[in-house]
Amino acid sequence: MATRGQDSLHRWLDDASAAMAGTSEQRRDMVLELESTIQDRVEERTRHGEERERAIAVVLKGMGDPAEIGSAYAPGRPLLALHHTRPFLLNTASLFAAHFLLVLGATVADRELALGVLRIPPIEDPKSVLSVCGHALRTLLFDAGLVLVLFTLLSRVGRAIRFPRLELSVRPERRRNLEGAFFLALVLVVVNLFRDDLLALYVRGDDGVAQVPLVGPGLVSCVPWLNLWLGLALARELLYARYRERRWTLGFDLLSCVAGLFCLLLMVAAERLVDLTPAHAALGEAGDGLAALLNTAFGLIALAAAALLAAKAVRRGVRIAILER
Amino acid sequence: MPSLFDKIGAELKRGLVQIAALCLLQERLYGYQLVKILASHGLETEEGTLYPLLRRLEAQGLLLSEWDTQGARPRKYYLLSPQGMEALPRLREAWEEIAGAVGTILGTPVVGTTLPGGAKEEA
Repeated sequence: MATRGQDSLHRWLDDASAAMAGTSEQRRDMVLELESTIQDRVEERTRHGEERERAIAVVLKGMGDPAEIGSAYAPGRPLLALHHTRPFLLNTASLFAAHFLLVLGATVADRELALGVLRIPPIEDPKSVLSVCGHALRTLLFDAGLVLVLFTLLSRVGRAIRFPRLELSVRPERRRNLEGAFFLALVLVVVNLFRDDLLALYVRGDDGVAQVPLVGPGLVSCVPWLNLWLGLALARELLYARYRERRWTLGFDLLSCVAGLFCLLLMVAAERLVDLTPAHAALGEAGDGLAALLNTAFGLIALAAAALLAAKAVRRGVRIAILER
Repeated sequence: MPSLFDKIGAELKRGLVQIAALCLLQERLYGYQLVKILASHGLETEEGTLYPLLRRLEAQGLLLSEWDTQGARPRKYYLLSPQGMEALPRLREAWEEIAGAVGTILGTPVVGTTLPGGAKEEA
């Protein structure tokens, strides 16, 4: 039977382990090393006649806060430094709000999403699954294009007017976990390809195939932007962390701006995608059902992959902590 | 709440412990042994500082480690890697330069700048 001292030792080690970053194997290794040291210290005290229970209590007290010790194994994990939090949240939130309103208007209130020459018609009485796919693709191009261009412009303008630099503070030694987080963000973007207009149950009725969305449109529509933004910011900071040269971030900004403009142009050029019908794909009636099934299956697989990756990333100690460097 | 002096002192010590640990680990030691040796040289170091440091040095390829499960309890031993062996003389030189320069600035030239396991140099 475990004594009270042993219990408190295990509790201490559990608390330290919970604060550690790394794989379960790495954490086990670190905990074992700490336990070995604690036992050494306890043994030293008991050798001088101290009672074991008391020795454990004294040694644990001397070791300090287990969470602090555990987190010391992962120094510099802040991805977002305290002084960058406000501009980051402000910029992201304002962009998010604009996007949310536009897409909400277009997809829920049945109003066209229009910004100058850029126009996204509402999903209203879709002609076919292919038409919805075309619509979703255009919306995604619109999303990606706008995020890329705005991200670049805002970051460049911010630097020009000496607005507190918008960056995620990344330390090179945490790169592996950051890469995991970045990859996860990218996967989430891909998953968001299968938004409510695609990730849906398809019901065959008298009027043909109807969709029953699985996820609320307003909620889902905001996620791609947030993810894209995070992904872009992380990618740029990883480049900087790796090469330590500003020209890489400038190169990245230029590239993302060009890619954004390309997406927007492609979106305009692909206007006819929403007019696609099964006849265009020569799939006929059966094509609708098959495409619907494939869409749903692919969407679910992507979701499962994202969940697995998220679990893996958590195990590897991906954390987004807002701490001062 | 640690004072400003404590913070600066801790930062200063962290850098010193790194080079001292590398010097000491020319000999195979486990964490707690290292803590005690450092303390005996006047460098009191907490496990929460030393162990993560050892792991970082290991990740950088300067140290090797292995678990010894033969004794009463498992122990993780560290030893300088060939790469660490190669880096040590350069670190030693860097330390001597820094110590000399800081000593001159402070007006107290460092006499007998010694690192564990290293030859004592008289100024």
